[in-house]
Amino acid sequence: MTFLFDNGKKYGYEDLLRALNEGITYYPYYKTSDVFSYFVNLIKALAASKPLVLLDSDINSSEIDGLDESRVNVAEPIVPASLQNMDEVVSAVQNSKSEITIFTSGTTGQPKKVVHSIATLTRAVRIGDRYKGQIWAYAYNPTHMAGLQVFFQAFENQNTLVNVFNQPREYVYQQIRDKGITHISATPTFYRLLLPYEQAYESVIRVTLGGEKSDQHLYDSIMKIFPNAKINNVYASTEAGSLFAAKGDCFQIPEAIKDKFKVVDDELLIHKSLLGSSDSFKFTDDHYHSGDLIEWVDEAQGLFRFKSRKNELINVGGYKVNPGEVEVAIQDIEGVRQAMVYGKANSILGNVLCADVVLEPGFELTELDIKKVLSSQLQDFKVPRRIKFVEEISLTRTGKMKRV
Amino acid sequence: MKEKVLSIINEIRAAKEMAPIASISAETKLREDLNLTSFDLAELTVKIEDEFDIDIFEDGLVSTVGEIFAKLEK
Repeated sequence: MTFLFDNGKKYGYEDLLRALNEGITYYPYYKTSDVFSYFVNLIKALAASKPLVLLDSDINSSEIDGLDESRVNVAEPIVPASLQNMDEVVSAVQNSKSEITIFTSGTTGQPKKVVHSIATLTRAVRIGDRYKGQIWAYAYNPTHMAGLQVFFQAFENQNTLVNVFNQPREYVYQQIRDKGITHISATPTFYRLLLPYEQAYESVIRVTLGGEKSDQHLYDSIMKIFPNAKINNVYASTEAGSLFAAKGDCFQIPEAIKDKFKVVDDELLIHKSLLGSSDSFKFTDDHYHSGDLIEWVDEAQGLFRFKSRKNELINVGGYKVNPGEVEVAIQDIEGVRQAMVYGKANSILGNVLCADVVLEPGFELTELDIKKVLSSQLQDFKVPRRIKFVEEISLTRTGKMKRV
Repeated sequence: MKEKVLSIINEIRAAKEMAPIASISAETKLREDLNLTSFDLAELTVKIEDEFDIDIFEDGLVSTVGEIFAKLEK
């Protein structure tokens, strides 16, 4: 069975097993752009219950407080694992006592450090015969929460990973075709880059979206491109890992952890027992402010819908604008592939609402065209006052849109 | 420069479905004569800033077209 396809190279599970048993060292702080070496180091540390700090391959120590550059890529001794087969490796990982430190990507502000155990990282992993033989498009940064979730789900079932993170559209489609990819888990932004629909890819049977709010227009397009796929949403955060999966366009809090959540002023509060640990967490009555604003659909059943991120609201002349809502409205316009809405500091209103828009090839729209459509759907203060047409929208390390 | 300011004003008016104006003079009042709201004025400042790199409202209110020209001519 193939473990990983990356950059034209193929690694089998036997290659992984050999690499794990080879070295007598590992890197507690490892910075590499080679995904296979990264996974080998990760599994090695976990199997030996050694601490590990996950670093982006392109991160500078100046971007993270308190990171000692001199420790990066310095090997430390480890007791050779001598694991006989993959089942032993998986079991060693599952029982790991490692402390794993990851950083939030931060669509706003400085990265935050969060320490996790294998239990919080793999809370959502499902193992069993029905999960065998899956081929996953690996569309996330491997050092962040979502990338770890997909990795553990695939690895613990000894599935195949095909790395497509940060790859162009043509490459992604070629990999789906060549490798017969069955599962994709990615951000809405990733799927938007696959638009417009050109042909159907039938091998894909499961499409998972996470990370940002998505819209009906995007769902419809995904269903055309992957006609055999079931689409679902996950809610996961760097702070808590994966917490709940979607039910239709809502999320449901599982019965077993229902008493671990509170909603105050529309904001979802999570009990600290569900979280990793971090100095940056602030608790109110042992609850963490998630910053996610939600509305109940059925409170008794724990069914809710996401509205926006608290800190993302843009104050425009005293009105609060949810950029996600405006982005969805722009993306619903025919010919628009992607939109990002942000505030630009302004001496009159505090902020002026602005939008960057990527058009689909062959479409021509003017600023006025877009404003007119929006004016018929949104209140005046929600209509961006400056719309720029751009070739692409800059993304954060995890593939989410970066707020300016 | 004056034509550019006029075209930005007409762009803003077009989005409000108001007819374009043919010319502006130094005496033209932004709010009363051109019917610009504070949101429109904010858009005007952003677009003038894009074009000329000057924030016309930076040090206080501007109420006529002439005052905009004066800031841009500095």
